Amino acid sequence: MLSVLPRIGSGLIALLVVTSLQAATPTLVVYTYDSFTSDWGPGPRVKAAFEANCNCKLDLVGLSDGVAMLNRLKLEGAGSRADILLGIDTNITADARASGLFEAHGLTLQDSALPQSWQDDLFLPYDFGYFAFVYNRERVTNPPTSLRQLVEDDNGPTLLIQDPRTSTPGLGLLLWMKKVFGEDSDQAWERLSKRIVTVSKGWSEAYGLFLKGEADMVLSYTTSPAYHIIAEQDSRYAAAAFTEGHYQQIEVAGLVRGSQQKQLAREFLEFMISAEFQQIIPTTNWMYPVIAGKSLLPAEFDQLIDPAPALLLDERQVAAERKRWVDEWLEVMSR
Amino acid sequence: MSRAVPAALVLAILALLVLGPMLALFHLGDIPGYAASDLRFWENAYLRRVLFFSLWQASLSTLLAVVPAILVARAFAMQGQLPLRNLLLRLFALPLVVPAVVAVMSIVSVYGSSGWLPLGRSLYGINGILIAHVFFNLPLAVRLLLPQWQAIPQHHWQLSEQLGMNAWQRWRFIEWPMLREALPGVLLLVFMLCLTSFAVVLTLGGGPRSTTLEVAIYQSLRFDFDPARAALLALLQLGLCMLVALLTLKMQRLPEVEITLSTPARPSTSLHKWVDIGLIVAATLFVGMPLLSMLIDALGGPVVRVISDANLWRALASTLLIGLTAALLSVCAGWWLLRYSASLAYAGRRARARLIDLAGSIVYVVPPLVIGTGMFVLLSPRVDVFDWVYPIVIAINALMGLPFVIRCLGPAMRQNHARYHRLCLTLGLTGWNRFRFVEWPLLRRPLGLAIGLVAVLAMGDLGVIALFGSTQTSTLALMIYQQLGAYLVPQATVTALLLLLLCLGVFALLERLIGGKTVVAG
Repeated sequence: MLSVLPRIGSGLIALLVVTSLQAATPTLVVYTYDSFTSDWGPGPRVKAAFEANCNCKLDLVGLSDGVAMLNRLKLEGAGSRADILLGIDTNITADARASGLFEAHGLTLQDSALPQSWQDDLFLPYDFGYFAFVYNRERVTNPPTSLRQLVEDDNGPTLLIQDPRTSTPGLGLLLWMKKVFGEDSDQAWERLSKRIVTVSKGWSEAYGLFLKGEADMVLSYTTSPAYHIIAEQDSRYAAAAFTEGHYQQIEVAGLVRGSQQKQLAREFLEFMISAEFQQIIPTTNWMYPVIAGKSLLPAEFDQLIDPAPALLLDERQVAAERKRWVDEWLEVMSR
Repeated sequence: MSRAVPAALVLAILALLVLGPMLALFHLGDIPGYAASDLRFWENAYLRRVLFFSLWQASLSTLLAVVPAILVARAFAMQGQLPLRNLLLRLFALPLVVPAVVAVMSIVSVYGSSGWLPLGRSLYGINGILIAHVFFNLPLAVRLLLPQWQAIPQHHWQLSEQLGMNAWQRWRFIEWPMLREALPGVLLLVFMLCLTSFAVVLTLGGGPRSTTLEVAIYQSLRFDFDPARAALLALLQLGLCMLVALLTLKMQRLPEVEITLSTPARPSTSLHKWVDIGLIVAATLFVGMPLLSMLIDALGGPVVRVISDANLWRALASTLLIGLTAALLSVCAGWWLLRYSASLAYAGRRARARLIDLAGSIVYVVPPLVIGTGMFVLLSPRVDVFDWVYPIVIAINALMGLPFVIRCLGPAMRQNHARYHRLCLTLGLTGWNRFRFVEWPLLRRPLGLAIGLVAVLAMGDLGVIALFGSTQTSTLALMIYQQLGAYLVPQATVTALLLLLLCLGVFALLERLIGGKTVVAG
């Protein structure tokens, strides 16, 4: 039985050698999350568009999420096959920066659609979005208009949220509460917790439960209703606009220092911030493109709320305080 | 001695696959940006709470799943002529493969606020966790316990009739002694499954109050990226299970084995018959309702769009490949281990025999994420891991299936050895001939169950493939998660139904091919 494993392995290697001999063209390896590579994600269209002009092969390797990608790169160190990491967000860029595994991309973001100016020589954004509580208009007729109101109205809507230890939106809400309530966020969480139906592992579970009607509101993105409008012609869902503003998520890519094909990698990054790539984003990743231009967004996006002002904590502060904040949150929520 | 060699080989591979990766994680010092944390976790109030909660929910879930399972298995054993019996028993192998997130949705369809039996918000908390764990494990325990009744010698029943025993006395003197061989192992297996439960506990548990050790391990390895701490917590979990294993094994008694025919179906009074049927109906409803809600959701979904996707069929093919190969490997490894432990038990060295079974049973509690990451650390400097994704996924799934093989095959192999070893020696039957004439005919039924269970378990597995990364959607379970992560809930439900149908088909086929025609009949 032991001898079977290497045989399968060497079989696969042989197969790979054969295919790589056939293709003398260079291969660019991009680590990303698997919802990017899936059939309904941006992956297939991005691959086709880039390969049409690059005279290369683009390998999009799907890992479970941004954290997994970064951990994987750290474990592989200098021996990694990855040329680009695409899909980490500003909550872990400080950590990625400290790893020393990335190198300057040398590009500037022209015509930025981001609400803030972008100066980062290591990481280049490719899309962004805002966290929001999404509800069904038929069920919630009078949604809260601020995070403070959501917290303080004890008869307010019931909620489904995600765990900050396992989920990006979950961590986003934790930082949002910190940004709005500062040192009083503990009391705010305690008050809010009475209306939290459950805290799920990931976004999918919470959103699935919400669609089944398990709570009035779910933590998601301001762009979530656009999916229902465009893909399902269903305009019942809306995101509640909060006067304090909405916490922002910016997704970025970085060039791996150990890459053997930096020229090609830079070409990909340039492609990433071009209109051709950017127009794929809104209806596949359901996020906002990072470059301005009305034509990039489907008309239905006009029906979405205005999330301004964008809230974002400094990446260094997040890196330094995240663990303590999560521990505090665990303490409050476990009472 | 020839039995000891393959067994030792399997044990060595086990140790290598389990301990190797953990050691690798302990020795990860030179990762950039990694600072080893303080490992004195026992001083941490959070971890103490996590530990307590893990044990509490796992113990409670185990009791609530296994005690009713004894009654239901007994009812199935007594009512051998029940219509649809085989179909129901096959259905009972299914909950095991429902991906956790799909199971949560199905349970919410039944017990959620707009469900058939609404529990409202009280579903979220210990209630939801228990419902989900009983849904997963009661049917499994029924399948694992049922063969014990089938092993009861015919003359025991005849004797009980001649002596005019009542139901209680029959239970006490005939059935219970037989059950005591398998019950501790089943308790341990279900306990391990509940202890390592993750998404179910977090999502139905209502919040971080319901955090298990498995979540803490995941947190250490992913969120905090602290491999040494993750390995330590995994060792802690392993140690805990070892303790529980020793406790459950204390109650194990191996019954005397006699050479005899067995026909378990007993004529019973009509009152007993109706009680049995009531139990079976209740268990079927409990297991069937979430499955039925899923079926209804899926049939209302975009069936045609999902099945006309070429990627679905590719994913289906690799799911099959992984499931069948892992099952075959797992059963081979289990066979060699059990063959040796059966001969040890026969020679009177029962303590050592149990220890070997235990080694094979306990691997389940080392989280695949820990094994996978450790393997990655070991392999990535030496080979290109991308080429090894399938072998690694298959190896880890085979490893995770081993406890199921030990449970299904263990008692039967011991009995077979005890009954026929001397006869085989007298007749000079060894090797292939012994397998063909003595072992195969008598063991094919549990063998079919074991191979079927491990295959469906591996087919429903998600963990490892997501960890190693893939350039395409590689398995159905992964596809379901991707669809759910992209708002495609109806599509995901259809895919989940397909996975279930595939599992049902594979399970039925394996049971029929390997187990023979009378698979689950009385």
